[in-house]
Amino acid sequence: MLSRVASNLYWMGRYIERVEHLTRYNKEIYFSSLDAPIIGANDSKFVLESILYMNGIFDIADMSEKEVLFKIGFDRDNPEAIISLVTKARENARGARNTISTDLWEAINRFYHFVNNYSPETYTSSGLYEFSQKILEEISIVKGKIMGSLLHDEAWAIIMMGINVERVIQVIRIINSKLNDIYKIESAGHEVTNMSFEWSNLLRCTESFDMNRNYYRAIPNRERVLEFLVLNDQCPRSINHSLQGISTYMKKIIGKKEANSSSIDFKISKLSAYFKYLSYDEFQDNVYELLNSTQNKIMEISAEIEKKYFSQ
Amino acid sequence: MNEKEKGILDTYELGDNLFDEVFADGLIPKTHYREIIKKFNHLSLPDFERIYKEVKDSFLNQGITFAVYSKDNKADERIFPFDLFPRIIPDEEWQHIETGVIQRNRAINLFLHDIYHDKKILNDKIVPADLIFSSKNYLKEMIGFSPKGGIYTHVSGTDLIKHSDGKYYVLEDNLRCPSGVSYVLSNRLALKKSLYDIFNKLSARAVYDYPEHLLEVLKSVSPNKTDNPVAVVLTPGVYNSAYYEHSFLAQTMGIHLVEGRDLFVEKDFVYKKTIYGPIKVDVIYRRIDDEFIDPLCFRKDSMLGVPGLMGAYLAGNITLANAPGTGVADDKAVYHYMPEIIKYYLNEEPILNNVETFHCENVSDRNYVLENVDKLVVKPVDESGGYGISIGNRLTKDEIEQVKLQIKADPRRYIAQPILSLSVHATFIEKNKEFEPRHIDLRTFSLMGQKEQFVLKGGLTRVALQKGNLIVNSSQGGGSKDTWVLNK
Repeated sequence: MLSRVASNLYWMGRYIERVEHLTRYNKEIYFSSLDAPIIGANDSKFVLESILYMNGIFDIADMSEKEVLFKIGFDRDNPEAIISLVTKARENARGARNTISTDLWEAINRFYHFVNNYSPETYTSSGLYEFSQKILEEISIVKGKIMGSLLHDEAWAIIMMGINVERVIQVIRIINSKLNDIYKIESAGHEVTNMSFEWSNLLRCTESFDMNRNYYRAIPNRERVLEFLVLNDQCPRSINHSLQGISTYMKKIIGKKEANSSSIDFKISKLSAYFKYLSYDEFQDNVYELLNSTQNKIMEISAEIEKKYFSQ
Repeated sequence: MNEKEKGILDTYELGDNLFDEVFADGLIPKTHYREIIKKFNHLSLPDFERIYKEVKDSFLNQGITFAVYSKDNKADERIFPFDLFPRIIPDEEWQHIETGVIQRNRAINLFLHDIYHDKKILNDKIVPADLIFSSKNYLKEMIGFSPKGGIYTHVSGTDLIKHSDGKYYVLEDNLRCPSGVSYVLSNRLALKKSLYDIFNKLSARAVYDYPEHLLEVLKSVSPNKTDNPVAVVLTPGVYNSAYYEHSFLAQTMGIHLVEGRDLFVEKDFVYKKTIYGPIKVDVIYRRIDDEFIDPLCFRKDSMLGVPGLMGAYLAGNITLANAPGTGVADDKAVYHYMPEIIKYYLNEEPILNNVETFHCENVSDRNYVLENVDKLVVKPVDESGGYGISIGNRLTKDEIEQVKLQIKADPRRYIAQPILSLSVHATFIEKNKEFEPRHIDLRTFSLMGQKEQFVLKGGLTRVALQKGNLIVNSSQGGGSKDTWVLNK
């Protein structure tokens, strides 16, 4: 496979995954806030700040709700806006057009046209739910085509690698963002009677609410949510699960295991092994440190993959 | 259908003094169109419009589009208009076209070899030497070099029209990177999906095999004797208007689609960069113009090409399809000499007619043209895509004077031809919700390899969607039709 096409596939996977998480986050946070039982969490500024925080924008200034929604949805000058990400996902798919299947290409292209033709005015006034829901459905179709219409060879492994690298990063960001929200509620001194609401929200933002309930058969709390999203090896959204995936796909790409301790494969295996044998007790007091160092490590690994496979 | 209801073609009106492909006088369908007209007349207008919309959506979803950029940087993508009423060519007409196109291509290849080697045709004064040497498409780098198998034009496109006398004329040869073949295949697929019923009684010759033949042709001209030479398609990239076609061809041939940056040259060999290291390439089907293929040899500012590619080519280590320097033969001024060129090399009479051409460099021709601008089509020799063409009977007095000044300023740059009346074909006009006659032409696609010559059965019928317009190019608002060659 051409190095450039490998890069196209990897970034296509990353952008698709990123759109999915940002879209779901915006939708869940916005709609759950409407009848939030917690004082502070139903404040629209609080919600908009949370949405912008996920988008990497930390200063809300005096933006109105419409302006915030436009910025994260349709502002082409914002590289993390939905429209920008979908455009980039599609451009990368186009660059790899003859490596991916026609079914996959058409799914991505149709997805792009849906977003590109959607009226920003409708989106910022009344279409947030419908738009988000449709995006998530289109992404399910795209992912279905990735699983079902491609040979599971190294090209496929590169797309899956991109998806899983991005998933680790986004899940970490979502946890961080929600921890930040919870910290703000607690430090504002409000009496919190029902924090399970926020923990449930965090699960919904990662599409893990039902999985979590089925696993614990108990109301979500800090321990049950963090343990689940960081360590659970059956939840496809957990960091542990995604890291194991990255390790598997890397092996598929290199073909055989590299013994060299400085190889990318070795670094990935080391990181995923760490999570495999980690327990909640070990990280409950330093969640931020764990999340941030993991995010840095995965970004370093991503940079190395790009250098080794995509640029020469 | 109720007997009293009108069929969607019943409102059709013949144009004045035009050769209609579908209907004879009195609106009687020609034999080879009878069945299809029956089928079309069974459709109601709403049915037809629904099918038409589905087809347009399907083209959009497939990405068979070109982009128009607006001010806010939003890319507005449009599909190339596609008309659902196919153009039908009876078998005997097709045989004539096919043998004519093959004859033309054989002569063109011998001509190219000659002008880059012994120059006999110039020494014998059949074609003026000045005409060749003054062409910017004559590449001195190619002098004395023989491409593998003596083949210069592996892929060529021949544009034909049918005049009001009912005969086919060659309008021009496209010997560089002719495009449009992907539309032939996509149009067929779209028509099969949307109006499958019309295929039941009529059998059109298949077109799907073009990529297979193209791959065979490319492999047959590999400089290496290996069983499985490595061929690639070279594209300028995703922003090129023909990118869809490039990716389509690479995908259907099952070979890599590369950009210039995916290739590099080392010690006169060409390699592609892959995730497992460099792999040597044997044949490049390049969809990049000569002047951009190698910044070391041609345009230094080209970001699309591969530095050192011409060196590798001239060392005989890679085959480029088409060969560099073929543009000299599709120059509109050289076109004028094509009948003589065919006679000179093949000792045969040309099968396909050439349009009578006046060459402004020649004094007597020029004088005739200057006196008759209003009756002629004047074309610059070095433009494509329908640009710079003046059609005499459409010009105002001032415009005629302008054209005369242009010709006098640079006679070598202009040729003139009688105003031909392109045949018309029933075409659905969306805004009028009915079928109307529109001018059409035909681009055939032919392949030449070491083992075979192949002509795609049918080709691309282009249709000028504006009423009365003779220019069918997509860049000028043209659309296309599926083209059927009927089985015997």
